[in-house]
Amino acid sequence: MIPALPYAHALVAKQDLPIPAWLFAWAASIVLVVSFFALSAAWRKPRFEEERWRPSAAWLTTVLRSPPIQVLCGGLAVFLLGVAIYAGIHGTEAPDRNFAITFFFVTVWIGFAFVSALVGNVFPAFNPWRAIARVAGGAHRLLAGRPPRHLAYPERLGRWPAAAGLLGFVWLEVVYGSSGGVAVGLEPHAAGVAACVYTAYTLAMMALFGCETWCARGEVFSVYFGMFSQLAPFGVEDGRIGRRRPLAAATHWVAGASGSTAVVIASIATTSFDGAADGAYKGALESVERWFADAGVGPLATIRIADTIFMAGTVAGVAAVYLLGVKGMRSVPGAPPFRQLARGFAHSLIPIALAYLVAHYFSLFVYQEQAQFTYLLSDPLGTSTTDLFGTAEHGIDFNALSPNAIWYVQVAALLVGHVFGLTLAHDKALVYWRDYRRASRSQYWMLAVMVAFTCFGLYLLSVGAS
Amino acid sequence: MLGAVAIPLAHLGHFLWIFYVIPVLIVVAGIIRSTRAEKKREREEESKKRQ
Repeated sequence: MIPALPYAHALVAKQDLPIPAWLFAWAASIVLVVSFFALSAAWRKPRFEEERWRPSAAWLTTVLRSPPIQVLCGGLAVFLLGVAIYAGIHGTEAPDRNFAITFFFVTVWIGFAFVSALVGNVFPAFNPWRAIARVAGGAHRLLAGRPPRHLAYPERLGRWPAAAGLLGFVWLEVVYGSSGGVAVGLEPHAAGVAACVYTAYTLAMMALFGCETWCARGEVFSVYFGMFSQLAPFGVEDGRIGRRRPLAAATHWVAGASGSTAVVIASIATTSFDGAADGAYKGALESVERWFADAGVGPLATIRIADTIFMAGTVAGVAAVYLLGVKGMRSVPGAPPFRQLARGFAHSLIPIALAYLVAHYFSLFVYQEQAQFTYLLSDPLGTSTTDLFGTAEHGIDFNALSPNAIWYVQVAALLVGHVFGLTLAHDKALVYWRDYRRASRSQYWMLAVMVAFTCFGLYLLSVGAS
Repeated sequence: MLGAVAIPLAHLGHFLWIFYVIPVLIVVAGIIRSTRAEKKREREEESKKRQ
Protein backbone atom coordinates (compact mmCIF):
# COMPACT_ATOMS: atom_id res chain seq x y z
CA MET A 1 0.00 0.00 0.00
CA ILE A 2 1.56 3.28 -1.09
CA PRO A 3 0.29 6.28 0.85
CA ALA A 4 -0.75 9.42 -0.96
CA LEU A 5 2.06 11.90 -0.39
CA PRO A 6 1.12 15.27 1.03
CA TYR A 7 2.17 18.30 -1.02
CA ALA A 8 3.54 21.01 1.21
CA HIS A 9 2.82 23.80 -1.24
CA ALA A 10 -0.29 22.57 -3.01
CA LEU A 11 -3.54 24.20 -2.06
CA VAL A 12 -5.62 21.59 -3.82
CA ALA A 13 -4.83 18.85 -6.30
CA LYS A 14 -6.66 19.55 -9.54
CA GLN A 15 -6.89 15.92 -10.54
CA ASP A 16 -8.73 13.09 -8.86
CA LEU A 17 -6.83 10.19 -10.36
CA PRO A 18 -7.43 6.57 -9.34
CA ILE A 19 -3.67 5.96 -9.02
CA PRO A 20 -0.73 8.30 -8.26
CA ALA A 21 0.45 10.32 -11.27
CA TRP A 22 3.94 8.80 -11.16
CA LEU A 23 2.47 5.34 -11.75
CA PHE A 24 1.45 6.57 -15.21
CA ALA A 25 5.16 7.17 -15.90
CA TRP A 26 5.90 3.59 -14.85
CA ALA A 27 3.08 2.24 -17.02
CA ALA A 28 4.22 4.38 -19.98
CA SER A 29 7.79 3.10 -19.55
CA ILE A 30 6.53 -0.50 -19.60
CA VAL A 31 4.53 0.22 -22.79
CA LEU A 32 7.68 1.66 -24.41
CA VAL A 33 9.80 -1.34 -23.43
CA VAL A 34 7.14 -3.75 -24.75
CA SER A 35 6.89 -1.69 -27.98
CA PHE A 36 10.66 -1.85 -28.32
CA PHE A 37 10.68 -5.67 -28.09
CA ALA A 38 7.69 -5.92 -30.44
CA LEU A 39 9.52 -3.74 -33.01
CA SER A 40 12.71 -5.79 -32.62
CA ALA A 41 10.80 -9.02 -33.22
CA ALA A 42 8.40 -8.02 -35.98
CA TRP A 43 9.86 -4.98 -37.82
CA ARG A 44 12.86 -6.28 -39.73
CA LYS A 45 12.89 -4.16 -42.90
CA PRO A 46 12.81 -0.36 -43.23
CA ARG A 47 9.37 0.88 -44.25
CA PHE A 48 9.63 4.66 -43.91
CA GLU A 49 12.37 5.31 -46.44
CA GLU A 50 9.76 5.67 -49.16
CA GLU A 51 6.75 7.91 -48.66
CA ARG A 52 4.59 5.87 -51.05
CA TRP A 53 3.02 9.07 -52.28
CA ARG A 54 -0.15 8.62 -54.33
CA PRO A 55 -1.85 11.54 -56.07
CA SER A 56 -5.33 12.52 -54.90
CA ALA A 57 -8.13 13.46 -57.28
CA ALA A 58 -6.93 16.14 -59.72
CA TRP A 59 -9.85 18.47 -58.92
CA LEU A 60 -8.66 18.69 -55.29
CA THR A 61 -5.33 20.17 -56.38
CA THR A 62 -7.04 22.37 -58.97
CA VAL A 63 -9.42 23.82 -56.38
CA LEU A 64 -7.10 24.11 -53.36
CA ARG A 65 -4.17 25.56 -55.29
CA SER A 66 -6.24 27.78 -57.57
CA PRO A 67 -5.34 31.52 -57.68
CA PRO A 68 -8.67 32.68 -56.13
CA ILE A 69 -8.22 30.38 -53.11
CA GLN A 70 -4.59 31.45 -52.71
CA VAL A 71 -5.52 35.13 -52.93
CA LEU A 72 -8.37 34.58 -50.43
CA CYS A 73 -6.17 32.72 -47.91
CA GLY A 74 -3.21 35.08 -48.31
CA GLY A 75 -5.44 38.16 -48.11
CA LEU A 76 -7.15 36.85 -44.97
CA ALA A 77 -3.77 36.15 -43.38
CA VAL A 78 -2.45 39.64 -44.15
CA PHE A 79 -5.68 41.19 -42.85
CA LEU A 80 -5.55 39.20 -39.59
CA LEU A 81 -1.85 40.03 -39.11
CA GLY A 82 -2.76 43.69 -39.55
CA VAL A 83 -5.64 43.41 -37.06
CA ALA A 84 -3.39 41.67 -34.53
CA ILE A 85 -0.62 44.27 -34.88
CA TYR A 86 -3.15 47.13 -34.58
CA ALA A 87 -4.84 45.51 -31.58
CA GLY A 88 -1.47 44.89 -29.95
CA ILE A 89 -0.28 48.47 -30.35
CA HIS A 90 -3.55 50.35 -29.83
CA GLY A 91 -5.61 47.93 -27.71
CA THR A 92 -5.81 47.21 -24.02
CA GLU A 93 -2.66 46.24 -22.15
CA ALA A 94 -4.51 43.33 -20.48
CA PRO A 95 -3.06 40.30 -22.31
CA ASP A 96 -6.15 38.13 -21.83
CA ARG A 97 -8.49 40.81 -23.28
CA ASN A 98 -6.37 41.71 -26.31
CA PHE A 99 -6.86 39.87 -29.63
CA ALA A 100 -3.14 39.96 -30.47
CA ILE A 101 -1.81 37.74 -27.69
CA THR A 102 -4.23 34.83 -28.12
CA PHE A 103 -4.02 35.14 -31.90
CA PHE A 104 -0.20 34.98 -32.09
CA PHE A 105 0.60 32.56 -29.28
CA VAL A 106 -2.41 30.22 -29.24
CA THR A 107 -4.43 30.30 -32.47
CA VAL A 108 -1.46 30.50 -34.83
CA TRP A 109 1.42 28.99 -32.83
CA ILE A 110 -0.47 25.98 -31.44
CA GLY A 111 -3.37 25.77 -33.91
CA PHE A 112 -1.24 25.56 -37.06
CA ALA A 113 1.05 23.00 -35.44
CA PHE A 114 -1.94 20.74 -34.69
CA VAL A 115 -3.51 21.22 -38.14
CA SER A 116 -0.16 20.68 -39.92
CA ALA A 117 0.40 17.37 -38.14
CA LEU A 118 -3.11 16.21 -39.01
CA VAL A 119 -3.67 17.33 -42.60
CA GLY A 120 -0.31 18.53 -43.91
CA ASN A 121 1.44 21.78 -44.62
CA VAL A 122 -1.37 24.33 -44.94
CA PHE A 123 0.65 27.25 -43.57
CA PRO A 124 2.17 28.39 -46.91
CA ALA A 125 -1.36 29.30 -48.06
CA PHE A 126 -1.91 31.34 -44.87
CA ASN A 127 1.58 32.80 -44.52
CA PRO A 128 1.06 36.59 -44.59
CA TRP A 129 4.71 37.39 -45.34
CA ARG A 130 4.78 34.93 -48.23
CA ALA A 131 1.59 36.50 -49.58
CA ILE A 132 3.11 40.01 -49.40
CA ALA A 133 6.37 38.83 -50.96
CA ARG A 134 4.56 37.10 -53.82
CA VAL A 135 2.54 40.22 -54.58
CA ALA A 136 5.75 42.30 -54.46
CA GLY A 137 7.50 39.77 -56.72
CA GLY A 138 4.59 39.88 -59.18
CA ALA A 139 4.66 43.67 -59.21
CA HIS A 140 8.42 43.65 -59.85
CA ARG A 141 7.95 41.21 -62.74
CA LEU A 142 5.26 43.46 -64.19
CA LEU A 143 7.28 46.67 -63.90
CA ALA A 144 10.80 45.41 -64.64
CA GLY A 145 9.78 42.72 -67.09
CA ARG A 146 11.82 40.07 -65.25
CA PRO A 147 11.61 38.19 -61.95
CA PRO A 148 13.51 39.73 -59.00
CA ARG A 149 17.12 38.57 -58.58
CA HIS A 150 18.22 37.06 -55.28
CA LEU A 151 21.43 36.12 -53.54
CA ALA A 152 22.31 32.45 -53.30
CA TYR A 153 21.35 31.18 -49.84
CA PRO A 154 24.44 29.97 -47.94
CA GLU A 155 23.64 26.26 -47.59
CA ARG A 156 25.83 25.87 -44.52
CA LEU A 157 23.32 28.07 -42.67
CA GLY A 158 20.62 25.46 -43.34
CA ARG A 159 17.73 25.85 -40.90
CA TRP A 160 19.86 27.47 -38.18
CA PRO A 161 18.15 30.91 -38.64
CA ALA A 162 14.81 29.18 -37.99
CA ALA A 163 16.19 27.42 -34.90
CA ALA A 164 17.47 30.74 -33.54
CA GLY A 165 14.16 32.43 -34.40
CA LEU A 166 12.21 29.68 -32.67
CA LEU A 167 14.20 30.20 -29.47
CA GLY A 168 13.73 33.97 -29.82
CA PHE A 169 9.96 33.66 -30.30
CA VAL A 170 9.50 31.42 -27.25
CA TRP A 171 11.91 33.58 -25.23
CA LEU A 172 9.73 36.60 -26.05
CA GLU A 173 6.59 34.76 -24.95
CA VAL A 174 7.83 32.87 -21.91
CA VAL A 175 10.79 34.86 -20.58
CA TYR A 176 10.25 38.46 -21.67
CA GLY A 177 6.54 38.19 -20.88
CA SER A 178 6.89 36.18 -17.68
CA SER A 179 5.46 38.78 -15.35
CA GLY A 180 1.79 38.74 -16.30
CA GLY A 181 0.38 35.85 -14.28
CA VAL A 182 -1.97 34.91 -17.14
CA ALA A 183 -1.65 32.21 -19.81
CA VAL A 184 0.59 34.40 -21.92
CA GLY A 185 1.87 37.34 -19.92
CA LEU A 186 3.51 39.33 -22.68
CA GLU A 187 2.25 42.89 -23.00
CA PRO A 188 0.18 43.26 -26.19
CA HIS A 189 2.12 46.40 -27.16
CA ALA A 190 5.40 44.44 -27.06
CA ALA A 191 3.79 41.65 -29.12
CA GLY A 192 2.57 44.19 -31.71
CA VAL A 193 6.00 45.83 -31.99
CA ALA A 194 7.70 42.41 -32.18
CA ALA A 195 5.34 41.41 -35.00
CA CYS A 196 6.26 44.62 -36.91
CA VAL A 197 9.98 43.94 -36.42
CA TYR A 198 9.59 40.31 -37.50
CA THR A 199 7.58 41.37 -40.56
CA ALA A 200 10.30 43.81 -41.65
CA TYR A 201 13.03 41.21 -41.02
CA THR A 202 11.19 38.44 -42.89
CA LEU A 203 10.38 40.62 -45.90
CA ALA A 204 14.00 41.79 -46.06
CA MET A 205 15.26 38.19 -45.97
CA MET A 206 12.73 37.17 -48.62
CA ALA A 207 13.93 40.03 -50.82
CA LEU A 208 17.53 38.92 -50.31
CA PHE A 209 17.23 35.16 -50.74
CA GLY A 210 13.84 34.66 -52.38
CA CYS A 211 10.47 33.97 -50.84
CA GLU A 212 10.37 30.16 -51.12
CA THR A 213 14.02 29.70 -50.13
CA TRP A 214 13.58 31.76 -46.97
CA CYS A 215 10.32 29.97 -46.11
CA ALA A 216 12.07 26.60 -46.42
CA ARG A 217 15.13 27.61 -44.37
CA GLY A 218 14.81 30.68 -42.21
CA GLU A 219 11.20 31.72 -41.69
CA VAL A 220 10.44 30.46 -38.19
CA PHE A 221 6.75 29.67 -38.59
CA SER A 222 7.10 28.01 -42.02
CA VAL A 223 9.91 25.77 -40.77
CA TYR A 224 8.18 24.98 -37.46
CA PHE A 225 4.79 24.08 -38.98
CA GLY A 226 6.53 22.42 -41.94
CA MET A 227 8.35 20.16 -39.48
CA PHE A 228 5.07 18.92 -37.97
CA SER A 229 3.48 18.54 -41.40
CA GLN A 230 6.04 15.80 -42.17
CA LEU A 231 4.02 13.51 -39.90
CA ALA A 232 0.77 14.07 -41.81
CA PRO A 233 -0.73 11.58 -44.27
CA PHE A 234 -1.06 14.29 -46.98
CA GLY A 235 1.63 16.15 -48.88
CA VAL A 236 2.40 18.04 -52.08
CA GLU A 237 4.70 16.69 -54.78
CA ASP A 238 5.38 18.55 -58.03
CA GLY A 239 2.52 20.90 -57.23
CA ARG A 240 -0.01 18.10 -56.75
CA ILE A 241 -1.72 17.13 -53.49
CA GLY A 242 -1.56 13.46 -52.59
CA ARG A 243 -1.64 10.87 -49.84
CA ARG A 244 1.45 9.31 -48.35
CA ARG A 245 2.43 6.97 -45.55
CA PRO A 246 1.99 8.88 -42.25
CA LEU A 247 5.33 9.76 -40.52
CA ALA A 248 7.33 8.72 -43.59
CA ALA A 249 8.10 12.24 -44.86
CA ALA A 250 9.86 13.05 -41.56
CA THR A 251 12.67 10.65 -42.47
CA HIS A 252 14.13 12.97 -45.09
CA TRP A 253 13.15 16.34 -43.60
CA VAL A 254 16.00 16.49 -41.10
CA ALA A 255 18.59 15.17 -43.57
CA GLY A 256 17.57 17.88 -46.05
CA ALA A 257 19.31 20.78 -44.29
CA SER A 258 21.72 21.42 -41.43
CA GLY A 259 20.21 22.97 -38.32
CA SER A 260 17.10 20.78 -38.57
CA THR A 261 18.18 18.78 -35.51
CA ALA A 262 18.47 22.08 -33.63
CA VAL A 263 14.92 23.02 -34.66
CA VAL A 264 13.52 19.74 -33.29
CA ILE A 265 15.51 19.95 -30.05
CA ALA A 266 14.57 23.61 -29.58
CA SER A 267 10.88 22.68 -30.03
CA ILE A 268 11.00 20.04 -27.27
CA ALA A 269 13.15 22.14 -24.96
CA THR A 270 11.13 25.34 -25.21
CA THR A 271 7.86 23.51 -24.54
CA SER A 272 9.49 21.72 -21.61
CA PHE A 273 10.79 24.98 -20.18
CA ASP A 274 7.37 26.62 -20.51
CA GLY A 275 5.85 23.72 -18.58
CA ALA A 276 8.60 23.62 -15.98
CA ALA A 277 8.92 27.35 -15.28
CA ASP A 278 5.80 27.43 -13.10
CA GLY A 279 6.22 23.93 -11.69
CA ALA A 280 9.31 21.75 -11.58
CA TYR A 281 11.78 24.66 -11.85
CA LYS A 282 9.92 27.02 -9.54
CA GLY A 283 12.02 26.45 -6.42
CA ALA A 284 15.33 26.50 -8.28
CA LEU A 285 14.29 29.58 -10.26
CA GLU A 286 13.41 31.42 -7.07
CA SER A 287 16.83 30.56 -5.59
CA VAL A 288 18.66 31.92 -8.65
CA GLU A 289 16.42 35.00 -8.68
CA ARG A 290 17.24 35.64 -5.02
CA TRP A 291 20.94 35.38 -5.83
CA PHE A 292 20.66 37.98 -8.60
CA ALA A 293 18.45 40.20 -6.43
CA ASP A 294 21.07 40.05 -3.65
CA ALA A 295 23.69 41.08 -6.22
CA GLY A 296 21.68 44.27 -6.80
CA VAL A 297 19.98 43.39 -10.11
CA GLY A 298 16.51 44.93 -10.64
CA PRO A 299 13.42 42.74 -10.02
CA LEU A 300 12.27 42.34 -13.66
CA ALA A 301 15.80 41.82 -14.98
CA THR A 302 16.32 39.23 -12.22
CA ILE A 303 13.34 37.18 -13.42
CA ARG A 304 14.38 37.45 -17.06
CA ILE A 305 18.03 36.54 -16.46
CA ALA A 306 17.09 33.52 -14.31
CA ASP A 307 14.50 32.36 -16.85
CA THR A 308 16.97 32.78 -19.72
CA ILE A 309 19.58 30.68 -17.88
CA PHE A 310 17.05 27.92 -17.20
CA MET A 311 15.73 28.01 -20.77
CA ALA A 312 19.27 27.67 -22.14
CA GLY A 313 19.90 24.89 -19.61
CA THR A 314 16.78 23.03 -20.79
CA VAL A 315 17.90 23.26 -24.43
CA ALA A 316 21.35 21.96 -23.42
CA GLY A 317 19.75 19.19 -21.32
CA VAL A 318 17.44 17.95 -24.08
CA ALA A 319 20.33 18.05 -26.59
CA ALA A 320 22.60 16.19 -24.14
CA VAL A 321 20.04 13.39 -23.57
CA TYR A 322 19.57 12.95 -27.31
CA LEU A 323 23.30 13.04 -28.07
CA LEU A 324 23.96 10.51 -25.28
CA GLY A 325 21.49 8.19 -27.02
CA VAL A 326 23.40 8.73 -30.28
CA LYS A 327 26.71 8.12 -28.49
CA GLY A 328 25.29 4.83 -27.20
CA MET A 329 24.40 3.82 -30.76
CA ARG A 330 28.01 4.41 -31.84
CA SER A 331 29.09 1.52 -29.61
CA VAL A 332 27.36 -0.98 -31.90
CA PRO A 333 29.71 -2.40 -34.59
CA GLY A 334 29.11 -1.02 -38.06
CA ALA A 335 27.81 2.34 -36.82
CA PRO A 336 28.17 5.36 -39.14
CA PRO A 337 30.00 8.50 -37.90
CA PHE A 338 28.56 10.36 -34.92
CA ARG A 339 27.44 13.42 -36.91
CA GLN A 340 25.62 11.27 -39.43
CA LEU A 341 23.83 9.40 -36.65
CA ALA A 342 22.96 12.62 -34.81
CA ARG A 343 21.32 14.01 -37.91
CA GLY A 344 19.93 10.68 -39.11
CA PHE A 345 17.86 10.00 -36.01
CA ALA A 346 16.67 13.53 -35.19
CA HIS A 347 13.44 13.01 -37.14
CA SER A 348 12.41 10.47 -34.48
CA LEU A 349 12.09 13.45 -32.09
CA ILE A 350 9.45 15.20 -34.24
CA PRO A 351 6.53 13.08 -32.88
CA ILE A 352 7.89 13.80 -29.39
CA ALA A 353 7.95 17.54 -30.07
CA LEU A 354 4.31 17.26 -31.17
CA ALA A 355 3.45 15.11 -28.14
CA TYR A 356 4.97 17.71 -25.80
CA LEU A 357 3.04 20.45 -27.60
CA VAL A 358 -0.28 18.59 -27.26
CA ALA A 359 0.40 17.59 -23.67
CA HIS A 360 1.34 21.08 -22.53
CA TYR A 361 -1.02 23.24 -24.55
CA PHE A 362 -4.07 21.11 -25.34
CA SER A 363 -6.19 22.54 -22.51
CA LEU A 364 -4.88 26.09 -23.05
CA PHE A 365 -5.85 25.78 -26.71
CA VAL A 366 -9.39 24.53 -25.94
CA TYR A 367 -9.97 27.31 -23.40
CA GLN A 368 -8.35 30.19 -25.28
CA GLU A 369 -10.00 29.35 -28.59
CA GLN A 370 -13.35 29.90 -26.89
CA ALA A 371 -12.11 33.40 -26.13
CA GLN A 372 -10.63 33.85 -29.61
CA PHE A 373 -13.88 33.08 -31.41
CA THR A 374 -16.18 34.96 -29.03
CA TYR A 375 -15.17 38.08 -27.14
CA LEU A 376 -11.72 38.60 -28.69
CA LEU A 377 -13.21 38.51 -32.19
CA SER A 378 -16.04 40.88 -31.27
CA ASP A 379 -13.85 43.24 -29.28
CA PRO A 380 -10.30 42.84 -30.67
CA LEU A 381 -8.89 45.86 -28.84
CA GLY A 382 -10.38 44.72 -25.54
CA THR A 383 -11.60 48.22 -24.78
CA SER A 384 -15.28 47.20 -24.35
CA THR A 385 -16.27 49.73 -27.00
CA THR A 386 -17.07 47.35 -29.86
CA ASP A 387 -19.21 44.23 -30.23
CA LEU A 388 -18.73 43.25 -33.88
CA PHE A 389 -20.42 39.85 -33.75
CA GLY A 390 -22.53 40.18 -30.61
CA THR A 391 -20.25 37.87 -28.61
CA ALA A 392 -18.28 40.43 -26.62
CA GLU A 393 -19.99 39.39 -23.38
CA HIS A 394 -19.23 35.68 -23.79
CA GLY A 395 -16.71 33.97 -21.53
CA ILE A 396 -14.64 30.81 -21.32
CA ASP A 397 -16.37 27.64 -20.15
CA PHE A 398 -13.72 26.10 -17.91
CA ASN A 399 -15.94 23.04 -17.41
CA ALA A 400 -15.50 22.10 -21.08
CA LEU A 401 -12.71 19.76 -19.98
CA SER A 402 -12.40 17.97 -16.66
CA PRO A 403 -8.93 17.88 -15.02
CA ASN A 404 -8.90 14.10 -15.41
CA ALA A 405 -9.75 14.33 -19.13
CA ILE A 406 -6.87 16.77 -19.61
CA TRP A 407 -4.50 14.43 -17.78
CA TYR A 408 -5.55 11.39 -19.86
CA VAL A 409 -5.12 13.35 -23.10
CA GLN A 410 -1.66 14.44 -21.90
CA VAL A 411 -0.60 10.90 -21.00
CA ALA A 412 -1.99 9.48 -24.27
CA ALA A 413 -0.24 12.18 -26.32
CA LEU A 414 3.11 11.57 -24.65
CA LEU A 415 2.81 7.80 -24.96
CA VAL A 416 1.71 7.76 -28.61
CA GLY A 417 4.34 10.37 -29.53
CA HIS A 418 7.14 8.36 -27.96
CA VAL A 419 5.99 5.05 -29.48
CA PHE A 420 5.98 6.77 -32.90
CA GLY A 421 9.44 8.18 -32.15
CA LEU A 422 10.70 4.73 -31.20
CA THR A 423 9.22 3.29 -34.41
CA LEU A 424 10.88 5.95 -36.60
CA ALA A 425 14.23 5.41 -34.86
CA HIS A 426 14.00 1.62 -35.22
CA ASP A 427 13.15 1.98 -38.89
CA LYS A 428 16.18 4.24 -39.47
CA ALA A 429 18.44 1.84 -37.58
CA LEU A 430 17.46 -0.87 -40.08
CA VAL A 431 18.81 1.39 -42.83
CA TYR A 432 22.18 1.93 -41.13
CA TRP A 433 22.59 -1.62 -39.77
CA ARG A 434 21.29 -4.07 -42.34
CA ASP A 435 21.35 -6.84 -39.72
CA TYR A 436 18.14 -6.41 -37.71
CA ARG A 437 19.80 -7.78 -34.53
CA ARG A 438 22.42 -5.06 -34.57
CA ALA A 439 19.79 -2.50 -35.51
CA SER A 440 17.75 -3.49 -32.45
CA ARG A 441 20.84 -3.38 -30.28
CA SER A 442 21.63 0.12 -31.48
CA GLN A 443 18.20 1.19 -30.34
CA TYR A 444 18.72 0.24 -26.69
CA TRP A 445 19.94 3.76 -26.04
CA MET A 446 17.16 5.39 -28.00
CA LEU A 447 14.77 3.43 -25.81
CA ALA A 448 16.44 5.02 -22.80
CA VAL A 449 16.08 8.45 -24.45
CA MET A 450 12.37 7.83 -25.08
CA VAL A 451 11.73 6.59 -21.55
CA ALA A 452 13.63 9.58 -20.16
CA PHE A 453 11.64 12.07 -22.25
CA THR A 454 8.33 10.36 -21.35
CA CYS A 455 9.04 10.37 -17.60
CA PHE A 456 10.37 13.94 -17.75
CA GLY A 457 7.27 15.09 -19.64
CA LEU A 458 4.90 13.38 -17.22
CA TYR A 459 6.82 14.76 -14.25
CA LEU A 460 6.53 18.31 -15.61
CA LEU A 461 2.81 17.85 -16.18
CA SER A 462 2.15 16.28 -12.78
CA VAL A 463 4.02 19.07 -10.97
CA GLY A 464 2.29 21.71 -13.05
CA ALA A 465 -1.12 20.25 -12.17
CA SER A 466 -0.46 20.26 -8.44
CA MET B 1 12.49 10.49 22.84
CA LEU B 2 11.22 8.76 19.71
CA GLY B 3 7.86 10.42 20.05
CA ALA B 4 9.54 13.83 19.72
CA VAL B 5 11.03 13.04 16.30
CA ALA B 6 8.80 14.63 13.68
CA ILE B 7 9.05 13.07 10.23
CA PRO B 8 8.84 15.91 7.68
CA LEU B 9 6.12 14.21 5.62
CA ALA B 10 4.82 17.56 4.39
CA HIS B 11 7.95 17.94 2.25
CA LEU B 12 7.86 14.46 0.70
CA GLY B 13 6.24 16.08 -2.31
CA HIS B 14 9.61 17.66 -3.10
CA PHE B 15 11.08 14.20 -3.68
CA LEU B 16 8.36 12.88 -5.98
CA TRP B 17 10.76 13.26 -8.93
CA ILE B 18 12.53 10.13 -7.65
CA PHE B 19 9.52 8.05 -8.71
CA TYR B 20 9.92 9.42 -12.24
CA VAL B 21 13.64 8.67 -12.36
CA ILE B 22 13.29 5.02 -11.25
CA PRO B 23 11.96 3.69 -14.62
CA VAL B 24 14.78 5.49 -16.46
CA LEU B 25 17.38 3.96 -14.12
CA ILE B 26 15.86 0.48 -14.53
CA VAL B 27 15.95 0.78 -18.33
CA VAL B 28 19.52 2.14 -18.32
CA ALA B 29 20.64 -0.65 -15.95
CA GLY B 30 18.99 -3.23 -18.22
CA ILE B 31 20.72 -1.75 -21.26
CA ILE B 32 24.16 -1.76 -19.60
CA ARG B 33 23.65 -5.35 -18.44
CA SER B 34 22.51 -6.66 -21.83
CA THR B 35 25.21 -4.68 -23.70
CA ARG B 36 27.89 -6.22 -21.48
CA ALA B 37 26.40 -9.70 -21.90
CA GLU B 38 26.33 -9.31 -25.69
CA LYS B 39 29.90 -8.03 -25.84
CA LYS B 40 31.03 -10.92 -23.65
CA ARG B 41 29.23 -13.39 -25.92
CA GLU B 42 30.82 -11.80 -29.01
CA ARG B 43 34.28 -12.07 -27.43
CA GLU B 44 33.68 -15.71 -26.58
CA GLU B 45 32.49 -16.46 -30.12
CA GLU B 46 35.61 -14.76 -31.55
CA SER B 47 37.93 -16.70 -29.30
CA LYS B 48 36.18 -19.94 -30.27
CA LYS B 49 36.66 -19.06 -33.95
CA ARG B 50 40.39 -18.45 -33.38
CA GLN B 51 40.75 -21.82 -31.68
